Amino acid sequence: MPDQLSSYAAVDRQIIGAMWSPRRTYWYFVALSFVGVLIGAACWGYQIVTGLGVANVTHPPMWGTYLTNFVWWVGIAHSGTLISAILFLFRASWRTTIARSAEAMTVFAVMIAGLFPLIHLGRVWVVYWILPYPNQRNLWPNFQSPLVFDVIAISTYLTVSTLFWYTGMVPDLATIRDRATGLKRRIYGFLSLGWVGSHKYWRHYGTAYLLFAALATPLVISVHSVVSWDFALGIVPGWHSTIFAPYFVAGAIHSGLAMVLALLIPLRRIYGFENLITLRVLEQIAKTIILTGLIVAYAYVVEPFMAWYSGNLVELDQFMWRGYGYYWWEYWTMVMLNAVLPLALFVKTIRTSIPALFIIGILINIGMWFERYVIIIGSQAHEYDPYSWGVYKYPTWVEFGILIGSLSLFFFFFLLFSKFLPTISITEVKESLPVPVRGK
Amino acid sequence: MAEKMAVVGVYQYLDELLSALDALKREKIGVDTVYSPVPRHEIREALGLPELGTVRFFTLTGAILGIVSGVLLVWYTSMQWRFIVGGKPPIPIYPAVIPAFEFLILLSVLFNVAGLLIKNRMPRWKLPAHFDGRFTRDRFGILVRCPEAQGETVSGILMKTGAEEVRRLDE
Repeated sequence: MPDQLSSYAAVDRQIIGAMWSPRRTYWYFVALSFVGVLIGAACWGYQIVTGLGVANVTHPPMWGTYLTNFVWWVGIAHSGTLISAILFLFRASWRTTIARSAEAMTVFAVMIAGLFPLIHLGRVWVVYWILPYPNQRNLWPNFQSPLVFDVIAISTYLTVSTLFWYTGMVPDLATIRDRATGLKRRIYGFLSLGWVGSHKYWRHYGTAYLLFAALATPLVISVHSVVSWDFALGIVPGWHSTIFAPYFVAGAIHSGLAMVLALLIPLRRIYGFENLITLRVLEQIAKTIILTGLIVAYAYVVEPFMAWYSGNLVELDQFMWRGYGYYWWEYWTMVMLNAVLPLALFVKTIRTSIPALFIIGILINIGMWFERYVIIIGSQAHEYDPYSWGVYKYPTWVEFGILIGSLSLFFFFFLLFSKFLPTISITEVKESLPVPVRGK
Repeated sequence: MAEKMAVVGVYQYLDELLSALDALKREKIGVDTVYSPVPRHEIREALGLPELGTVRFFTLTGAILGIVSGVLLVWYTSMQWRFIVGGKPPIPIYPAVIPAFEFLILLSVLFNVAGLLIKNRMPRWKLPAHFDGRFTRDRFGILVRCPEAQGETVSGILMKTGAEEVRRLDE
């Protein structure tokens, strides 16, 4: 039960009240993130006008940081569905106050992830060629390709996450509608679709929400598995491995939970939600990070072990090169930040320290970005034939600008969301309170 | 035919609302709608309704259509644009599983949402005249539609069971 909230009306007052009048810091963050969005848009515009050569992508690591960013953002998108769907099915009550923000994070992260294939496409205006539509030459996308699987999986994930997020919000939007006046009332009235909270509404809503969660759970596992097959189905040393699907799913949830920490710790401060997003909630996230960190660590150990144990010299060489070759420091950064650092959360004083959690959240996200960098770029740079080896040296200012733009866009969307929509589920917080009874 | 009217009782406490439902049932007066700011299983049980609604049949329909359409899309397009790779069937079996699975989830969810909207008759742009904004905030409500002659009895039951406000509206 959230601290200091004794009645349904108090829940409305706190959550809706925070939306109406955020602190001044909020506006500083909005301005800052908007500047970042403009930087990203300018860099992308420059790349479209000049050509893809302004990025450092070249043979053999053709995918460069754009695909690194894509996989990283898809990964971040995974915690939302984990928290809102999987933890809902497990009846984990600590998810109540963070589920809505995590769902929003999912939606925005998938939207931004979806931009990176477009950015990397160069000629973005022909993106519709990948869609299965009838055309005069009877040309269709190859449905046996994992890249086409990926398009279907990501677009399904975006659709399902958005609908899940919105459906869960409808009763809350009606609550806001019934407290608002004038234009606000009309807008929230429109968005709440005429919700009245009758017993019929709640019954059908409960059924639909349960099924949503049940369907979103296998989806979240499938999406990052499909992303991993973009690599695992390619016969490239360092990629062609059956461990990739669970390895990527665990890594995705790892980075997503870390982003939840990095995002919600400032949010609870800005909106004064310390009594709702309590230290206990943050500690539970930290404990889950220990689990995902251990799975990731297991994958880090098993991959080189299998390369050695299989007797495949090419595979073994790839992993030796990862640890001691051109990308050695990226590799060890990833190992330290993703697998070793989370072990610190076993110590109670660390996992109950808010500054420590915030810093660990950010560092794990940096580590997970490096993981994708090492896997995607490192493997392409060092394939079978030494004649075609070649390294991707560093991202250019255009690539950096686009990465900054994507981060800024994510925060910008999140800030707008937190101003206009309830960041904490009003209904679920009310459900966690004791029901009002006179007790005659 | 007798004129119909709506009687709305507003409650602060759940136990009083449940006692009103019980009293109306004893008097054989049908309850049209019960409003609450949060879902409560006690209300559903008092009304004798099963836990799951019929939305699940919409979802099941979506799931079946999703699998079928996913597989058919892959097979149809493979026939249209034959991509012959040595030793592999032109009509793929295993690769069709992934689009079929994604379509299963996608159409199940779309049908799930459609079912929710259809069963709840949403979107509804005008709220019912008897609806009270407090029902989405912190109050419970009972709506009884009855002949005008029965209005007094219903109001009496609602007042007696602790309603903080009872309104009568002509329908």
